[in-house]
Amino acid sequence: MVGKRGRVIGRIAPGIVGEVMLPVRGATEAFYAYPATDEVLEVGTQVVVVEFDPPRTVYVARAF
Amino acid sequence: MLWTYLIIAAVAVVVLLILFRMVWRVAEPNEALIISGLGAHSSTDQVNETLGFKIVVGRGTAVLPGFQTVRRLPLDIRATPLTVTCVSSQGIPLHIKGVTAYKVGDDYGSIANAARRFLEQSDEQVMGTIHELFAGHLRAIVGSTTVEEMLHDRETLTTNIRGSLAGDMEKLGLVVDSLQIQEIDDESGYIKNLGRPQAAAVEAAARIAQAERDREATEREQAAAAQKAAAVRQSSIAQAGYQAEVDQAKSKASQAGPLAEALARQEVVVAETETAKLNASLAEKQLESTVLKPADAEAYKQRTLAQAARDAQIAAAEANAREVQLRGEAEAKATELTGKAEASAVQAKAMAEAAGIKARAEALATNTEAVVAQQLAEAYPEIVSAAAGSFEKVGNMVVLNGAQGIEDTLVKTITMGGSGFALAKQLIDSLAAKKDDEKPTLEPVPDESA
Repeated sequence: MVGKRGRVIGRIAPGIVGEVMLPVRGATEAFYAYPATDEVLEVGTQVVVVEFDPPRTVYVARAF
Repeated sequence: MLWTYLIIAAVAVVVLLILFRMVWRVAEPNEALIISGLGAHSSTDQVNETLGFKIVVGRGTAVLPGFQTVRRLPLDIRATPLTVTCVSSQGIPLHIKGVTAYKVGDDYGSIANAARRFLEQSDEQVMGTIHELFAGHLRAIVGSTTVEEMLHDRETLTTNIRGSLAGDMEKLGLVVDSLQIQEIDDESGYIKNLGRPQAAAVEAAARIAQAERDREATEREQAAAAQKAAAVRQSSIAQAGYQAEVDQAKSKASQAGPLAEALARQEVVVAETETAKLNASLAEKQLESTVLKPADAEAYKQRTLAQAARDAQIAAAEANAREVQLRGEAEAKATELTGKAEASAVQAKAMAEAAGIKARAEALATNTEAVVAQQLAEAYPEIVSAAAGSFEKVGNMVVLNGAQGIEDTLVKTITMGGSGFALAKQLIDSLAAKKDDEKPTLEPVPDESA
């Protein structure tokens, strides 16, 4: 999971559970997401998974 | 013998196939096989710890009958209607109707969690549990949200739902695909009153707009009616005008025949006039070419000839004049000379005569009677002829005495001459008497021309 890139579909901010869509197993799934750093990621931002917290939580950072 | 073996082998194959068919289980795409029992302790990639059962997704696996059990966990979506009575953050009681769509997560962790919680449970049980769960979470969410936020700020609502559900969903191995709030009712009429000012404003605006439009429509209608009336009036006027034009055209058309005839005749006349003009012009040209030009030529010829003749005559006259002049001059010279000569002669003669007269005068003075007699004798023939002249007028003279008569007449006549002679002698005497008184001088007249 780590290193996958995805798209924010629910606003991610410190203390707030956001949501990202990630490509997994040939499909896309929604994962709960937290920011890896203290930044706010608005809907539509490209993000990269830096940490995976099974089963459905990821920590993401801005992709570029 | 061979056949027996073959048959046994075939039967064995069939038996093996049947056994395989009994042992082999295949997982459908929308389900997971949960295998527990002998040897089903395999660990997954994601979970390093031993699961205690085996999860098979999307493929087949052999299940040992009697030693292992296999259950199918459906992974497909389920929808649960939500009907919740809750209170908003402002303390307003609300009835919320919604629906949630959820499924078991596709990863092994979710499948294991869900398998441990929902396997062998009926759909009703699962849905009841989920409903309670969601209802509780929804109450929590609505309790921390105002009605206005719920109505207007869906992002906040979904964020709250996600934050509230995340942990529980992970525990249950479920994924919420969708959560929809379909209806929000309130008994106190808060929502209705919430929108009332806006509704009233909208209604007022609508009524104002309607009234405005009504007014505009009426104005337009009236204007249209006025325009219509104007158009009708215009049309009537135009129709009358057109009728008049038609009548005019008809009357014109009725007069068109004679008019056209007259026009045609006029054209004919014009053409004839033109023709006549052309004819006249032609005749003029012909005359010019046949008469005028030759006449001009002739006149020119005559004029030229006359001029030539005149010139010739002038030249001749000049020559003549010159000749005459010369001749005259010559003659004058000759005459002059002649005259001079004659004058000299005359002078000489006159001198001679004067001398003669002087001499006679002297003689007369000395012997008057002799001179007179001389004079008479000299003039006697003339006297006789003058006396005879009196007979010249007589046409037919009758002499009565014959030859005697003639002699008498002549004697008488000559006597008359004799009496004249006596008269002349008397005259001379008187003259001589006078001459004695005045002492007359008889001198020769000098020749003036000499």
